[in-house]
Amino acid sequence: MMRVRFWGTRGSLPVAQKADVIQAKIASALLAAAGRTFADAAEADAFARANLDFATYGAYGGASSCVEVEAADGAFIVCDMGSGLREFGIDSFRRIAGGHPPVYHIFLSHLHWDHIMGFPFFGPAFNPAATIVIHSGHPDAETALRRQQEEISFPVPFEWLKAKFEFVVHKPGDTFDAAGVTVSMVAQYHSHDSYGYRFEKAGRAVVYSTDSEHKLDNMDAEVAFERFFGSADLVICDTMYSLGDTVSLKQDWGHSSNIVAVDLCHSARAKRLALFHHEPTYSDGDIQRMHNETIRYEELVRADRSPLEVICAYDGLEVIV
Amino acid sequence: MEWQVEATATALVGRPIGKIDETTWEGFQVHLLDAVSQAAAASLPLVIDLSGLDYMSSRGLRVLKIAKDAAGAGAPITLAAPNDRMRQIIAISRYDMLFKVVADVASAG
Repeated sequence: MMRVRFWGTRGSLPVAQKADVIQAKIASALLAAAGRTFADAAEADAFARANLDFATYGAYGGASSCVEVEAADGAFIVCDMGSGLREFGIDSFRRIAGGHPPVYHIFLSHLHWDHIMGFPFFGPAFNPAATIVIHSGHPDAETALRRQQEEISFPVPFEWLKAKFEFVVHKPGDTFDAAGVTVSMVAQYHSHDSYGYRFEKAGRAVVYSTDSEHKLDNMDAEVAFERFFGSADLVICDTMYSLGDTVSLKQDWGHSSNIVAVDLCHSARAKRLALFHHEPTYSDGDIQRMHNETIRYEELVRADRSPLEVICAYDGLEVIV
Repeated sequence: MEWQVEATATALVGRPIGKIDETTWEGFQVHLLDAVSQAAAASLPLVIDLSGLDYMSSRGLRVLKIAKDAAGAGAPITLAAPNDRMRQIIAISRYDMLFKVVADVASAG
């Protein structure tokens, strides 16, 4: 069994909920309750879950990309170090106190700010007992992290960190072992390149593919992604924009759409798709609408394939694979 | 996927029949780009009659954009007569922001 935890799901820039948004959610909930009384918070919670949509009862969250794949032997596996990494780091201390080894394997899709901005706030970097292995396709990953710590950007230089660091650069197509998990890597189209990762263990497979544009004039290349996604139990996929946007105004911005993600998963016979890297200008209602539309699109083009389950990632979501 | 093309007095009408997905998009692209060239040579607008199309996935949708780019701003492409399934796909993909969509071929002008 693998367990996937989403610590950050927002694309490009963290997003905070403002008071008026929370107030509107509370007002909608009170209207839905229509004067009911509840014996306790648990009863109110059960009513809300059963009667309110996720955009009202919950929130998709605002931390930038950080996803944990719990499957390794005595190590944490984390994809990207967006602002969600801070909370992951705090939670990992809790688990280390319970006996988990302080070993981290971190896989970087790329080095853009929203994918590394959590690193200066990653508590385990100050733990002298911790080992942190940074896996990347970028030879300049170490430079990016060191530069981010420099005084002009942050007051704590890299040299002050206490953990033992190791930087490992992989080549696209490489398959390697990380703490008992088989990992493979694919090159993706994005400014300064990005890389997707496939994690496999005991017959289960999870794919992390974000910040990846599937170009209009290079559709033949998608065969490689269909293979990479092949029969995966969960594909976490960049679905930042509509297809219309990715082929017009936002062409070459390096991102994919919900439509292309469904089609790649269909061709790959993947079982579940997690919509990910949400557009920062989208409200919770916008993201929920995109999720519902994606479910509908999957039904419209499914043909004789097995159904593809479409879920929408949010900060705090856990998925058992 | 089958393809038919017909020149009327007011437009060149291309008609894909069947479905356009990862198995048929390349044929659709060849036919559609050829129709773009024919329309330009005849100085006619191009109308794609979707009435015989079951559905089109992202590969087909992206071929539409390739054709739009090839045709250029001065040679608009109109999508006509989508079935209910295609209407939903066009809306979900936001292609209704990129193409004029009309209920039937006669309305394309």
